[in-house]
Amino acid sequence: MMQTLRIKRFNILDRSFHFFLILTFLTQTATGFSRLFFPTVWGKNLTAVFGGYDTSILIHKWVGILMIFGFIFHTFYLLTRIDFHNLWASLFGPDSLIPTIRDAKHLWQRILWFFGIGSRPEIGRWAYWEKFDYWAVYWGMPLLAITGVMLMYPVIASRYVPGWTLNIAVLLHRAEAILAVSYIFIVHFFVGHLRPSSFPMNEAMFAGSIPMEELEEEKPVWFKQLKAEGKFETVKVNPPSLLYKIIYFIFGYAALGVGVYLLINGIINSRYISLH
Amino acid sequence: MRNMIDINRTPIWIISFALLAVLLDPARSYGQGEEVTSYINRYKQNEVSTGYYEEYEMRPANERPFVKNFHRIARKSFPYSSTAASIRNRSLLADSHRGIKFYNNRRCEECHIKETKDIHTTRANLTCRQCHGPEPIASIDHYYSPLNPIRRHAYVCAKCHQGAGASFAGYVIHEPPAGSSTAKADFPALYYSYWFMMALLAGTLAFFIPHTILTGVREMFKRKKG
Repeated sequence: MMQTLRIKRFNILDRSFHFFLILTFLTQTATGFSRLFFPTVWGKNLTAVFGGYDTSILIHKWVGILMIFGFIFHTFYLLTRIDFHNLWASLFGPDSLIPTIRDAKHLWQRILWFFGIGSRPEIGRWAYWEKFDYWAVYWGMPLLAITGVMLMYPVIASRYVPGWTLNIAVLLHRAEAILAVSYIFIVHFFVGHLRPSSFPMNEAMFAGSIPMEELEEEKPVWFKQLKAEGKFETVKVNPPSLLYKIIYFIFGYAALGVGVYLLINGIINSRYISLH
Repeated sequence: MRNMIDINRTPIWIISFALLAVLLDPARSYGQGEEVTSYINRYKQNEVSTGYYEEYEMRPANERPFVKNFHRIARKSFPYSSTAASIRNRSLLADSHRGIKFYNNRRCEECHIKETKDIHTTRANLTCRQCHGPEPIASIDHYYSPLNPIRRHAYVCAKCHQGAGASFAGYVIHEPPAGSSTAKADFPALYYSYWFMMALLAGTLAFFIPHTILTGVREMFKRKKG
């Protein structure tokens, strides 16, 4: 029965945020790329999927507004995770997403481990690359939102900021979007799917839980922390049902397929576009 | 009575209700709504949006403090032809193409190649004349040109962008390539944001792609437990 023992990593709200982000991010990438690559044949075909050049920006704007609300909601959720009575321990403790000096040590240990020197770093609840994933999205979304809203209402925006900042806004919106897309579709997808320890798919973000052996292997410090705090019994959950597993495998691979398709065609057509 | 009013808390409630009553009082809240900015401020806005000061036309203040003119002529270059010699500075002429040979047989993009690469031309399919006006095309700094910054926003931008003001017209249509030395000299904000984002993109990928690939390779050689 040891095989079925599973430990909870993400609650239903965390997973909903991730699901929401998958859908909106892919929509924004597809509609945004259809506009960015409009001078190419591929871009023109992609705009046709969304009903043309004007309709694709309409979808892009509405989904962008949805993302802004999602971001605000997530920020409120984030604030509820902070224990304000015990602020320092809450912000810099083992359960926090804030990067600390431990992460720099882990990074160095891991680089040594790549080349066979030393052992793997003893990672806690959040590995440094997971923290990077989180904060990359967290600073990218406001940047894209602010520049996006500026470009959505350029005449109103120019009342508060000089008109030439719109040039900068176009540049930042495109550059940050390309950064986010290339990071997610190359690095995040590799970590989630192709890495030997997560192949064919890391189910933690969909199932919400991982097998106990995997936790002990991947995050030994958190494993010990859970045992020491006596929380171990409270985080044991049942495995996901087969039907749910089939659904999220199909969904995950569909998202992966869309992302890789957009990435490869984007790279192929990248020479025909410019950032400004 | 069991539910006696706590005498210490009563003033808070009185103040809150009074405040709410004042805020919800139609007469007073209407008065707040109709509160307008000062006469001077309103007049400034009028100046900015119309380009008129009393009955005189004026340049909007602080037009583009961080952006230089892009249509300046390279003064040090040697003129190889009589035509080149006569086009050194044409930004103030009534007919900006005056004296150019065979002008009637030529197309704009034969000379102004860079000016056809911007978003307005490539995406909105605008032609040069939709903004620069019919023949004779006035230089943009000529006093009666529709593209003169005095009236550019009202005469040109507002044709499509309803409500465009002088600040909006400060958008650089024919922007230099963002990473170029021209941009560094003329539009440094664009240049530095471009290279900042490029460094961020290249740095992130240059670190994380080898990092993930090495993770994958190393995990393949991981010893199994037990």
